[in-house]
Amino acid sequence: MIAVQHLVKEYGKFRAVDGVTLDVKPGEIHGFLGPNGAGKTTTMRMIAGLLKPSSGRILVDNHDLDTEPEAAKGALGFIPDRPFIYDKLTAAEFLRFHAGLYGMSNGMVEGRVHEMLDLFELRQWENELIESFSHGMKQRLVMSSAFFHRPRAVAVDEPMVGLDPRGARLIKDVFRRMSERGVAILMSTHTLEVAQEMCHRISIIQKGRIIAQGTVDEVKQLAGSADDEHLTSVFLKLTGGSGLQEIDEI
Amino acid sequence: MRSDAPSPALVMSGSRRTVSFPYLLLPAIWASRNRVRRRERGDSLRGLLFGSIGLVVVVALASGSYWLARQVSAYEEFGDYLLRLGLSWLFLSFLAFLAFSGVVTALSSFFLADDLRLLMTTPVAARRLFFARFVRTLAAASWMVVVFMVPVLVGVGLGRHAPAAFYIASLTTIAPFATIPVALGSACTLAVVNIFPARRARDLLMLMGLLFAVGIVLLLRFIQPERLMHVESLPDIADFFATLQSPITPMLPSFWAGESLFAGIKGGVDWLHQAALWTTAGAFTVLLGWAHERWHFPGYSRSQEAPKTRFARFVALDALAAVLPLSDVRRQLLVKDVKVFLRDVSQWVQLLPLVALVLLYLYNFRVLDLERIPYMSGFVKNVYAFVNLGMAGFVMATVAVRFVFPAVSAEGAAFWIIRTSPISMHDFLWSKFWTALAPVLIFTELLTIAANLLLGVDPFLQVVAAGAIIVLTFALVGLATGLGARYPRFGADATQAAGSYGGVMFMILAVLLIIVTIALVGWPASIYMMSKAGQYRWRLTPDRQAIIVITLSMVVAICIATWRVAMRSGVRALDAMRG
Repeated sequence: MIAVQHLVKEYGKFRAVDGVTLDVKPGEIHGFLGPNGAGKTTTMRMIAGLLKPSSGRILVDNHDLDTEPEAAKGALGFIPDRPFIYDKLTAAEFLRFHAGLYGMSNGMVEGRVHEMLDLFELRQWENELIESFSHGMKQRLVMSSAFFHRPRAVAVDEPMVGLDPRGARLIKDVFRRMSERGVAILMSTHTLEVAQEMCHRISIIQKGRIIAQGTVDEVKQLAGSADDEHLTSVFLKLTGGSGLQEIDEI
Repeated sequence: MRSDAPSPALVMSGSRRTVSFPYLLLPAIWASRNRVRRRERGDSLRGLLFGSIGLVVVVALASGSYWLARQVSAYEEFGDYLLRLGLSWLFLSFLAFLAFSGVVTALSSFFLADDLRLLMTTPVAARRLFFARFVRTLAAASWMVVVFMVPVLVGVGLGRHAPAAFYIASLTTIAPFATIPVALGSACTLAVVNIFPARRARDLLMLMGLLFAVGIVLLLRFIQPERLMHVESLPDIADFFATLQSPITPMLPSFWAGESLFAGIKGGVDWLHQAALWTTAGAFTVLLGWAHERWHFPGYSRSQEAPKTRFARFVALDALAAVLPLSDVRRQLLVKDVKVFLRDVSQWVQLLPLVALVLLYLYNFRVLDLERIPYMSGFVKNVYAFVNLGMAGFVMATVAVRFVFPAVSAEGAAFWIIRTSPISMHDFLWSKFWTALAPVLIFTELLTIAANLLLGVDPFLQVVAAGAIIVLTFALVGLATGLGARYPRFGADATQAAGSYGGVMFMILAVLLIIVTIALVGWPASIYMMSKAGQYRWRLTPDRQAIIVITLSMVVAICIATWRVAMRSGVRALDAMRG
């Protein structure tokens, strides 16, 4: 559903993304992990159509993002790490506008607005300006807009940042149910517990290259870790250094 | 949860129904409506103030152009010639302004606007996004010109008893006329953004702003408007306007616009020039749309990239700060504020047009033959010292509201560093004050002294004006710093902070203070000048000497009180924030 083939992004002589290949199948939750500055957000932004790749191909629902950008974007829901929302619109107005952007006809929109606001527990704030929302509420509103047009695939960058435990559980439930209904989800995250708990497969990126890919168990095997070892230590083994030495030196 | 399975009806491939471009303007319309519905404190005051100023300007423009049109109509055919050239000249000036404005506005609306991060991920056709953004760019770049042109053209129409055709021609002329230079400016931005990295592109466009300001100054000097000050015969005026003509003039949209409107005044329609305007505007829009479809996404993508940029280290500033008799806290705050300001090209470049205008103001005094202008000679010339004082005061108020008032707000999301540090709010705010005071004082003091020297104002008045500017600077910078701390807008940029409730309050108080200062300085100064002119009634008796001393002391007292009270109030407000 989301197919990334040999993706490269260069900034001058610096390769931020170096030949990344991913395939997220329908119904799969795919974790995209890596240290800071590894190239996760750059990759996600290319998939969303915000950055132009230097080379490589991105397909969403079999539509090439380069040659059929509207069809590819229409099949994708994107949740960025720093989302933009119109502060002076109300939550309902924002969702209605979003519906229009995705070509949804008016008859379907009102019911869907209430459905999504109910789902993300924002119904009572329906007619409030977004500028008065907390960070977590804004995050939930962005998620409701990403799922609003019933996308076939979702790319989400750091979904749990700023969410309280209740909000985090809600998002996890939504992702699981979307995945059960065949939506492909590519999720970039630093929260390894979430990745371990939710993802069918993971990819670990470092210095722009994919260094490990597969199910959590497959990645553990690749790292030579025991089955009961936590993903955090596997991640640190693969990306180099435990980090503890550096902490001691501070 | 209800079924969220992807529905073919909603997720169409290939044949997706994409929105029309006016739909993309909806958030701005809805946001404006919401703003009106949920007015914030100070919105009415701000609306009243700016509305009144706008009304006065509109009436003045309409009256001025009406008067000019009446005067010119007295010369029949020659008057028609002058009116034609005048209209062409007016449009020529706007042509340059609109092109530059188009460059800057297009950078923001096509490449740097925050909502592009949302829109670029949605299935909106590139061409429709272009049209929506171009309408926005056109509106933002040309509204000032339209607001200026409407009263001017109404004044001309009334002055020449123009038929309805003139007003219709005005509408059908301004729209395509504005489109052409804005499209050209947008094309220039598209090219620059695709060639240079975004940050350098922004600096480059700012540099273009500087060149534009300098160009305007040179243009004004080149056509020597002071020649109009010693008009002995009408041919001089004709020569003046003829300077503006060149072989390429008939090829410019400004000429077509002038000719179209002149035909309207005569009751006719200039189909040729109207067609030239509309076809050129249409062609430019289509070509720009085509170019955007090909190069907007690569340019937008570049504008998201953040390559390493070169920046000035300001070693001299560090060295200077090290020798200043300041505490470590104040030294670090000073260095931080100055470096942040100087490294943000978009901030300091806004001073350049102001500096250009001030230099032009001073240069005019140097080149004008004042003795030949009756009202500028003798005693009345000294009164002009107070015009200079007022001018310096208003320049200072403008600089203060734009650069000093937002000083606390400019800390923005980083204000937590100050609030959690062992720094008193008193030290923090006074550091802001001293950092702003030095450049503002030097600039306005030099402006006042230079203008009065060039005018040849009486030495006593020169000293009084120079002294008044010192105390006025303390008062206005203190007022701006204090009110900026009382009414901070941490989430807003500097321009938004300047236009906020606190910014408007500052401008009102600043104007009142300037008027009071001029009145209190002007009264004793006029007594002195009368007595010096040898008028018996105005002899400098001990009583009058006392009045001079008292009124000048009052100026000092009022300014010091304003400064101290505003600063104290600002410190208190910041302390209260700490809770």
